Amino acid sequence: METDGTLALERAHQLADQRALVERARQGDASAHRALYDTHVDRVYRLTFRLTGIEHIARELTQDTFVRAFAALGDFRGDAAFGSWLHRIAVSVTLNELKRRKRERTRHVPLDDAMATQESRRVSDPILRQKLMAAVNALPEGCRAVFMMHDAEGYTHEEIGARLGVSSGTSKTQLARARGKLRVALAQFAEEWKP
Amino acid sequence: MKDDMTDDSYDFGEDDGVVPASDPRFDAWIAKAAATLNAPGAIPRAEMWSAIQAARNTAHDAQAGRVPGVLPLRRNPWRLVSVIAAALLLGVAFDRLILERVERADVASVPAASTAPTDTSDVSHLYRMVAGQTLTQAEALLTAYRAGGVAERDPATAAQMARWGRDILGSTRLLLDSPAGKDPQLRSLLLDLELVVVQIILRSGAPLDVSDRGLIDRAIEDRNLLPRIRSAVPAGPIAAGAD
Repeated sequence: METDGTLALERAHQLADQRALVERARQGDASAHRALYDTHVDRVYRLTFRLTGIEHIARELTQDTFVRAFAALGDFRGDAAFGSWLHRIAVSVTLNELKRRKRERTRHVPLDDAMATQESRRVSDPILRQKLMAAVNALPEGCRAVFMMHDAEGYTHEEIGARLGVSSGTSKTQLARARGKLRVALAQFAEEWKP
Repeated sequence: MKDDMTDDSYDFGEDDGVVPASDPRFDAWIAKAAATLNAPGAIPRAEMWSAIQAARNTAHDAQAGRVPGVLPLRRNPWRLVSVIAAALLLGVAFDRLILERVERADVASVPAASTAPTDTSDVSHLYRMVAGQTLTQAEALLTAYRAGGVAERDPATAAQMARWGRDILGSTRLLLDSPAGKDPQLRSLLLDLELVVVQIILRSGAPLDVSDRGLIDRAIEDRNLLPRIRSAVPAGPIAAGAD
């Protein structure tokens, strides 16, 4: 109980520090911008990379996220954590980019190919690896975002809900749907999970 | 928590409400496998920070009119001329529409329904004409940029390209903001065009290195820009008038 109390206190301090940092950034303090960037860039980049699988696109999306966020600091009301707000921009920017790419049908296959070449060292069977990546890429964008955030990046359903602007229940439902679709798509490899 | 820049309508698929039964063994396996999907390597923090700084500085400098060789948008005479020309064209179009309506009201034998489509098609034609001119300019800029290693060595040429790019940006913004611009394909093309032109402008302040140029080239290719512009612009010279 004491540990919980200590954690809660630490978290409250962190939130207060973040609010102070955001306020300084709003006033144009360059060191505050840099501190916010340093605090959040790794998670934002990891998320954009997980969702796109292409380094230069993840880089552009991360940059775009911070440029937009810094330009819109005046709109940040501070009733949620800055990190949640920033991630929500990152997810929105990334999903819009994925939607745009999906519309360009001629570019869709090369994107899948590019993504298939960059992943998994742990899933050793190359055919399974390729099928798994193709199945993940075939998920609807929102569903894929929930799956990657939860299973690949370890976000909780509450965190996903806050970042996507949906309830944690919706996040749970979408994760179950994503796993169900993947299980069907990978049925021929069932011995991998049924030893 | 509400953020006006985000689009909350995520695509969760058509069978949104269907939840399949879970298989704990698969769930455990996929959770392990997922951790290795698209696992990022080293994070290019410093490079991304530099790019973010450059983008923010350029935006501030452009607003303040401090970009060398580039006039601030509010004092740019070419932009002013473009805005006036666009306003005149739209004025003429609306004038024509109003006159046609008055004539139609006078001629009772002509059914209103038979002429109604002309209203929207005139504005749409005018919009497409202005869009065509902008895309033609953009195609020329991108072609010149891709052809010319000269811009990498010559700051004057780079500044000239930046000015050219800014003129195009002004026009794309007007087109995107116009209520007549409802064609989703054209909007998507104009948005992509904006991104690439901004990159060309951002990198025109200093000689380009190989990685900068690679970034722009990739952006042009990824977005398939030149073929899309060429297919959007009709062959032959752009018509000078709406008729």
